[in-house]
Amino acid sequence: MVDWRLFDPLFEYARKRSMWIVSFCTGCGGIEMPPLATSRYDFERFGVMPNPSPRMADLFLITGYVTPKTLKRIIITYEMQPDPKYVLAHGSCPLNGGIYWDGYNAIKHLDKYIPVDVAIAGCMPRPEAVMDGIQKMMELIETGEADGWKRYKENYEWYRKNQDELFGEGWREKTARRWIPWLMDKKKEVKEE
Amino acid sequence: MMETALKALFILLYATFVGFMFMGIIRIVTARIHRRVGPPIYQPILDTIKLLSKKSNITHGVIYDFGVLYALGATILAIMFIPLGNIGVLRAYGDLILITFLLEIPMLGIMFAAMSSGNPYAGIGAQRALLTMLAIQVPLGFAIVALAEFYGTFSTYEIVMAQQVSGWSIAHLPLLLAAIAYDLVLQAMFGKEPFDIMIAPGEISLGPMVEFGGKHMGILQIQHAIALFAETLFFSNIFLGGAVVTTFASPVLNTIASLAILLVKQIAVLLVATFMGAIFPRFTIDQAAKFYWKWPTIIAALGAILASL
Repeated sequence: MVDWRLFDPLFEYARKRSMWIVSFCTGCGGIEMPPLATSRYDFERFGVMPNPSPRMADLFLITGYVTPKTLKRIIITYEMQPDPKYVLAHGSCPLNGGIYWDGYNAIKHLDKYIPVDVAIAGCMPRPEAVMDGIQKMMELIETGEADGWKRYKENYEWYRKNQDELFGEGWREKTARRWIPWLMDKKKEVKEE
Repeated sequence: MMETALKALFILLYATFVGFMFMGIIRIVTARIHRRVGPPIYQPILDTIKLLSKKSNITHGVIYDFGVLYALGATILAIMFIPLGNIGVLRAYGDLILITFLLEIPMLGIMFAAMSSGNPYAGIGAQRALLTMLAIQVPLGFAIVALAEFYGTFSTYEIVMAQQVSGWSIAHLPLLLAAIAYDLVLQAMFGKEPFDIMIAPGEISLGPMVEFGGKHMGILQIQHAIALFAETLFFSNIFLGGAVVTTFASPVLNTIASLAILLVKQIAVLLVATFMGAIFPRFTIDQAAKFYWKWPTIIAALGAILASL
């Protein structure tokens, strides 16, 4: 068999230069994405490409504040992505709540629920700041420090505990039943038979 | 035997490499039309390496794995039938029809895989892809009939040879009409803009592609590269005169010259598709079907009638 570790520098370079993003445009950060993608700041120069499907995405952009409702979607989308995957939190809301620091319905620390590799401060960060964050992410990928997906696997118990504390036990099944009722009901029928 | 295998390997490697360059050219040209800088030309190769080096892979069953390989295999079979300059591996009498058929088979493979994943977006995308395929059959059939009627043969190689004597196909009026119809069909086969209804990013999240990730998507990227090469090569062979250079004494020089001429013609076909793709918005599926059953069908049928007169 071929020793694939030999090709690791090539793979790291390819990962660095071809980040396909799936952006979770929750808050006001979504409006910073069009200037990034179009002619002013053009992130396709670095091979970054917006992508609607989480299955082929590498970089997960969380642009803005996170509520418990969106956090469920964020966690499930994050777990749908194949490894290696990276998370870029955008703005101060996912960092510490931002202007929603005393809000009853905002998640203050996103880092407790999914691992964040790079966080950009600012309210809102300008496209330059986001470009800087993407550059930082590229550096981290090349040096192998962007290991959020490894941390999530190693500390899964801790992340799971935090998630369950917030949503209650069995929230995944409940959400899944709401999203894909035909699939869940079929499984149930089979069990009953 | 050995020589044929070497030829097949050469065609495969050349088609894959040039196909990736074509994908890069499409992205750069689209970026320049948007007044952007655009990615480097080797960006699709990096994308493919990244996709193939993913550490985890998600599969949805045997059909899901099989469909992807089926698409790649059909495309490789198609590229073996199309004459590439004076290199050709497989040659059969009715290969004009066979190649036309083989170039549409990959979509079926992708559809198998997409529908077996159970994602509703993939289901909608597969339905739309089937409808688009149904819509393009009519003008495509008329264009092929016009060609066969004009040259009196169903062999691609003989059509290429006949064009070396009588000039390019598009110099004759009936075949010019057929070529216009075929070029409109090519837009849907590339999945470019007015007819990218099946993949529609942002509307149905890439349609059939939505569940593919990791190595499956990597194989599909390779398939897409070879398919781009095969479709442009087929068009330049049957309508733009192909290339059979015999001026040099050495066969190697002749081959290189043929490949260069073919490359220029293929890039011309590709750029027309890219320009059309960059400036048009997307049709809905009923508009696309109506369009294909009206204008390209009329043009191609006129060509077929004129060719048979």
